[in-house]
Amino acid sequence: MVEKDSDDHTPAEEPIATPNFIGLLLEVEQDAMAAIEASEKPIDQLRIELLGGKSELARLTKQIRRVPEQDRAQVGTVVNQVKQKIENALSEKTINTPQGATEPIDVTAPGTLPPVGHLHIVTQAVSEITRIFERIGFTRVRHPEVDWDWYAFESLNMPPNHPARDEWETFFIKYPEVSSQNTLEVIQLHTSGKKYKTIVLTPHTSNGQVREMEKGKLPIRMINIAKCYRRQVDVSHTPMFHQFEGLYIDRNVSIMHLKGVFDYFVKQFYGPDREIRLRPFHFQFTEPSFEVDISCGICHGTGYVTKGQKCRLCKEGWLEMAGSGMVHPVVLKNGGVDPAKYSGFAFGWGIERAYMMKSGTKLDDLRLIYSNDVRFSEQF
Amino acid sequence: MNLLIPDSWLREFLKTKATPKQMKEYLSLCGPSVEHIHVVNGEPVYDIEITTNRPDAMSVVGVAREAAAILPRFGIQAKLIGDPYHSNASKQGSTLRSKKLAITTDSKLNPRFTAMVFEHVKVSPSPAWLVRKLEQTGIRSINTVVDITNYLMRTYGQPAHVFDYDTIRTKNGIPTMILRASKKGETITTLDGKTHTLPGDDIVIEDGGGRIIDLCGIMGGENSRVRNTTTNVILFLQTYDPTHIRRTSMALSHRTEAAGLFEKGLDSELVLPVFVKGKELMRELTAAKPASRLYDIYPKRYKPYTVWCSRQKIDAYLGIKLDNREIRTILERLGFAVKRSKTEVTVTVPSFRQDVTIDVDSIEEIARMFGYHNIGAKLPEGELSQASSPPELAWEEEVKNRLRDWGFTETYTYSMISEKLMDAYALNKQKAYNITNPLSEEWVYMRPSLLPSMLATIEQNLHVRPSLKLFELAITYAYQEGDLPKETPVLIIGMTGQAFFELKGIAQVLFDLFGIPFPKSENAPEAGYYDPNRSLVLGDYGTVGELAGRSITVLELDFAKLVRNAKRGKSYRPIPKYPPVVEDLSFIVPAGTHIGPMMDAMRAVSTLIHTITLLDMYENNRTFHITYLDPKRNLTNENIVPIREKIVTLMEEAFGATVRALG
Repeated sequence: MVEKDSDDHTPAEEPIATPNFIGLLLEVEQDAMAAIEASEKPIDQLRIELLGGKSELARLTKQIRRVPEQDRAQVGTVVNQVKQKIENALSEKTINTPQGATEPIDVTAPGTLPPVGHLHIVTQAVSEITRIFERIGFTRVRHPEVDWDWYAFESLNMPPNHPARDEWETFFIKYPEVSSQNTLEVIQLHTSGKKYKTIVLTPHTSNGQVREMEKGKLPIRMINIAKCYRRQVDVSHTPMFHQFEGLYIDRNVSIMHLKGVFDYFVKQFYGPDREIRLRPFHFQFTEPSFEVDISCGICHGTGYVTKGQKCRLCKEGWLEMAGSGMVHPVVLKNGGVDPAKYSGFAFGWGIERAYMMKSGTKLDDLRLIYSNDVRFSEQF
Repeated sequence: MNLLIPDSWLREFLKTKATPKQMKEYLSLCGPSVEHIHVVNGEPVYDIEITTNRPDAMSVVGVAREAAAILPRFGIQAKLIGDPYHSNASKQGSTLRSKKLAITTDSKLNPRFTAMVFEHVKVSPSPAWLVRKLEQTGIRSINTVVDITNYLMRTYGQPAHVFDYDTIRTKNGIPTMILRASKKGETITTLDGKTHTLPGDDIVIEDGGGRIIDLCGIMGGENSRVRNTTTNVILFLQTYDPTHIRRTSMALSHRTEAAGLFEKGLDSELVLPVFVKGKELMRELTAAKPASRLYDIYPKRYKPYTVWCSRQKIDAYLGIKLDNREIRTILERLGFAVKRSKTEVTVTVPSFRQDVTIDVDSIEEIARMFGYHNIGAKLPEGELSQASSPPELAWEEEVKNRLRDWGFTETYTYSMISEKLMDAYALNKQKAYNITNPLSEEWVYMRPSLLPSMLATIEQNLHVRPSLKLFELAITYAYQEGDLPKETPVLIIGMTGQAFFELKGIAQVLFDLFGIPFPKSENAPEAGYYDPNRSLVLGDYGTVGELAGRSITVLELDFAKLVRNAKRGKSYRPIPKYPPVVEDLSFIVPAGTHIGPMMDAMRAVSTLIHTITLLDMYENNRTFHITYLDPKRNLTNENIVPIREKIVTLMEEAFGATVRALG
């Protein structure tokens, strides 16, 4: 819509005192408000009559030159205010007037749906886990998913050929060829550095431990969430999965703190009635090492659903959830942290499993999570 | 590794009134995890997981020793009986010494070598009690001689082997065994009938005839195995250098229970007591008579060492102050000798616990026996970390949430794709990371692009859902010579139908979200999957377009780049005090006129033009909605007219467009 000047110029303008002119404007405003209140004309027609080129307000606005020059700006502002007020009243009337239709509608007919998309369950779990750890000062970071063997194994106190490596069915990457065009630095890495010899798909998120320490900032409260890869595929394993790794390094870190963090997480994520327990275990990169169990939500830690009927979800009341432990002094050293001054704990959880246990989703085949069948994705 | 131990077998070495249920619960809390109790032939059989650092516990006696230390912590009396370390191992062999062996060995490869010849051996089926025991623990009964070796291994954790004495070839008239490192390419047929070509530096035994008769620590040779007709037998117990056994076993993919034990490092001090047990069983079950002396080559005996730990560190790790007496009791029950001062605890490590080497190892022993369930829970206090989260993580959540709310469903596809897909999408296999040991042909290359996975997902779902709106935000792996891949998060959105403008619209809103000007470009992507007539390159950020010959539309964006260039924070512009003036302008344009440059040109005409949007596009008609705004004053027609005229003229001159109507 274009606002055009009307052709009917007002002839020979006599000067008018500013207060009078403003008085006229306010009169226009009053009339307009009354008209809006009383009129049953359609809103659009009212708008043209009250604000259009031939409206009283437009006519008056053109006479602004009758006001002493020094007051014109002030009067202009009043004009705008009046205009705005009329506009507002019109808008309000629009909302308060049904646009025509008043006949009864079938309120039982389905509503018009907004677009509905779905986040993958891993994304949902990651967000939720991140939020919980943020509340206790743990910052989410990201470390490589394809990494040097050094970070995934060696720096974690697992030299090549160590039997402990059997726990991880690891994918290896073909050794990157070094060509003559390569920078001296890269050649040195490959020939001198025992460190950077082999590339693996990270079989756990623990490669983030030494990498995080190498940033050189203490204390550390880290959550590293990433894809992991293992050579396993069956109903309870997929070759790609996700883990979250927690690392806490400070002075005087104790097992009590580790239990505190687990307890907090488990109660936030699973519910206040859930308990944790640690069982002794062994990992090369923690000492002492633990496995972490949580009490089963189905049988409430009893192992039995009803009298004599065993719970089918858990191992006699407990679910095995995570590996953890106090960071091994060798790992601290490899990360440039002095084990005489600092200690810490670390833990790693599988996200898919953690989420499945939470939702009670009775998923009989974990591979469904990566099937990308929309009939599955749309359920979450 | 998991062990099956029948309750009655365990109680041969453990005197306690603990019930199987108590055994399971308390062992799991403080020691090896008892995962299940199976009932086999009416008897409870424990299924116990022993961790790799504890080869000493990988046996009935080993578990009994742990139980004897743990159960009293729960107020249940328990005592280890028949401890092999306390037996009076006699070195006596036969006084007759009618049979001899010539032995050469290498103490680096083989810390302890024991062997003895028996004669008049009757190889026969084992008695029922032995068959039952072995079966309950998951071992198949073969015959008395073989069963004795398996019984020793399960009871004490020390593998044993038997040779047919008469098959060992002689040198200088004496049957000869030379233990040495193998040479690369030597072969041996093991008693399971498999022939192995050795990688070299494997521990083997050569006989007087130059034949390899044993792949040590892994499996005996076919040529020297005990048959039903065998009458002269060598009983043979050893320890080996663990790393050699590990390497050979892995290289040959020949995993045996013996190898699994030897590669973890066994206690040489245990060899002789177990040998004595073996000798008794040979006599008892096969009517054998010792026919040689007991060969025992053990040049370097175990010397107990000490591990020191500061008292303060123990308390710091546990978070509570332990009673001194409690620490001593715990460690002594586990077989450590303890010396304590005000500030430190020093333990002398028994030969079977050489996994304990540094202070935190003894802390673990104290902590687990004290019981993790007896340690409280407390959130860490102290300083917060200064680290900040990489900005991409928050952006990822934001964008994913928006896409969900715009009706898109998220997919998670595997990061690895097949060689077939690499080829189908002409992705450079030389410049990609491929897996040396793939699990399946489906998962070989770390994907440099998300497009193949997205299209595969769309195709896979078409039969259940003809209309799809999907997205994935995942890392791609770009090749960097001699280095790790460059891991770049990429956003891909795929939908069915010819929906260029829908996805371009999404791209526009996303760029706006990141505060990045939408890239000015009219370029179609180079030859590839996109229809060049219906696609657009978005600067260095990616591509949006319909796929050639298909009814699929895709938007790909370099997410890392969006994040890098994102404008943080928004600046405030005052809300206009003066009302805008709006008008619609319609033009008739020559066929093939691009509208983007037209709009850009219009925008550039005057600073009073606040926004221009496309209202309608019909045949050759283009209608624009123009908003004029001056933040400093009221606009009148007088201000607008010259701008409008300028626009009309410019459109005519630059684009051949003629004005049709004013709205």
